[in-house]
Amino acid sequence: MRISKILIVDDSPISRRMIKSSMPKESGYEFFEAGDGLQGLEMFQEVRPQVTFMDLTMPVMDGITSVQEIMKLDETASVVVLTADIQAKMIMDAYQAGAFLVLKKPPTKESIQDALNKVEERES
Amino acid sequence: MESELQLIGTEEKDILQEIMNIAFGNAAAELAQVINIFVVLSVPYIRVLMARELPEYIKSEVTGCDSVSIVEQDFWGDFQGNALLVFQSGAGRELAFMLNGDDGIFEPGVTDRFESEILMEVGNILIGACVGKLAELLGDVIQYSPPKVLIENHANDALPQNFFDASCSAIILKTMFRFNDKDIGGFLFLVASHESIGWLKGALAKFMAQYDE
Repeated sequence: MRISKILIVDDSPISRRMIKSSMPKESGYEFFEAGDGLQGLEMFQEVRPQVTFMDLTMPVMDGITSVQEIMKLDETASVVVLTADIQAKMIMDAYQAGAFLVLKKPPTKESIQDALNKVEERES
Repeated sequence: MESELQLIGTEEKDILQEIMNIAFGNAAAELAQVINIFVVLSVPYIRVLMARELPEYIKSEVTGCDSVSIVEQDFWGDFQGNALLVFQSGAGRELAFMLNGDDGIFEPGVTDRFESEILMEVGNILIGACVGKLAELLGDVIQYSPPKVLIENHANDALPQNFFDASCSAIILKTMFRFNDKDIGGFLFLVASHESIGWLKGALAKFMAQYDE
């Protein structure tokens, strides 16, 4: 499966920019952005991205709840949690909610590329 | 009431907010690892004030509790100033009991000492890991003074008006945190010199440049 649509859910516009900038160049991805977990859930429902990058600490709806709701809509969804809160319990909660991968902030070109490769491998 | 200081622009503030978010998340993880408690973080927010407005700001933010405990640590590098971790009333006692176990019974006088020690330890880890990560992300190397703790001072005079150089700026990272299920809240304040703010602006631009290439 080739990734074409990527959803980025993060309340920080700077963090969304950092994630987008860490994506491979000239990949032709179409990006969708949401500023909280609820908006992310609604956008997931609308665009059905192949990958969702999800922050955890957000207003309105937190990332864990948003991942749980996304998994109810599509249990095969590939959600990559990208978080500053790297406590063992938070990482475990993210996986239990249905996250495919958990990455530590700040994003790097390598960590994002590695996550995209793993999603593609999973889908093929 | 204090007014927002326009020393740094909106985008610089957003970058700093994200970096502080990463830094405090890192600090929480370090604390969780060292003393085995889970830290629940809220969405952080940043504002910049003149340092002389900080005592008034603290007073306005800790409404509902008469006293606060403060852990203070100086740091210096290209970015230099003081870090203040302000805990709401009762935080030291709650932490002391939490870490001493359910059957923890203290002799009179022991609680105060343990409370002071635990606040100093928690403050040292949170400030060290947070300021350290901030420095690392911005390409700085920081040194620290030993932490000092002020226990249960009245919120009105927790910090004397002349505590800081009037020309310093205070970067406020307001994040409520809870330890395990206990509502032990607090704020982190970084008080920086004007020279540091100049350096900080350049460092923030350099940090983002790696993403804008």
